[in-house]
Amino acid sequence: MVSKLNRQTILVACGAGIATSTVVLDHLEELVERENLKVELVQCKIAEVASLQFNADLIVSSTILPTKYSIQALSATAYISGIGMEELDKEILSYLKK
Amino acid sequence: MAVASFIKESLVNVGLKVENQDQLFNAMFEKAYEQGFVKETFLPKIKERESIFPTGLSVNDYSIAIPHTDPEHVVEQFIAVSVLEKPVSFHLMEDNTKTTQVQAVLMLGLNQPHSQIEVLQELMQVIQVEDHLEKLIHAKDKSDITALFQSINVS
Repeated sequence: MVSKLNRQTILVACGAGIATSTVVLDHLEELVERENLKVELVQCKIAEVASLQFNADLIVSSTILPTKYSIQALSATAYISGIGMEELDKEILSYLKK
Repeated sequence: MAVASFIKESLVNVGLKVENQDQLFNAMFEKAYEQGFVKETFLPKIKERESIFPTGLSVNDYSIAIPHTDPEHVVEQFIAVSVLEKPVSFHLMEDNTKTTQVQAVLMLGLNQPHSQIEVLQELMQVIQVEDHLEKLIHAKDKSDITALFQSINVS
């Protein structure tokens, strides 16, 4: 349980859990490594987020968010289009504990 | 150049004439199905997926879309490319209340969840590097498309 307390979890979602979330996952892996954060990244389909959210701290989705979640959810289209990537990096980091 | 091997010249169409998204998907599916890249289920599934989770992307002055669907409908992996004679309306990936007039479509036929990051990174270079996107949208023929994808390298 100790590790669970220290480690934060980000759900990395897209519609099929195969293409765009892989791009987002790769970007976030680099980001957490650069920032030296203890974060677990879980790739999933957006449809799975509703049940997975209770064990996670943040949702980062490359697709539209079909519903409201109990934890913070961010759109990650910036990592696909390349526009606003740094701003999104900062926003994601603001939700993570150092 | 990992992405170049996914571009099949037989699935590239420059100057495709379609009136709407439905016609576009039908035309792209037909070619892919004839050549055995996808199952019959690919067509209804890609349309359904696009209506729930749209894939239109507006990048500076350009608009493209990257429709794709679940891996089980893909037989052999591919990326099909259509450069449209006139733009077709797609909803935006991040906001399905907004539309964008898409000039080129990269249809992704992927069936391996985690092993294709290099291909996807290179694909993102086509979208994110303005010079590449411009070359895609202004391609004159198939060889312009294959040359573009062969020039992409993520170090």
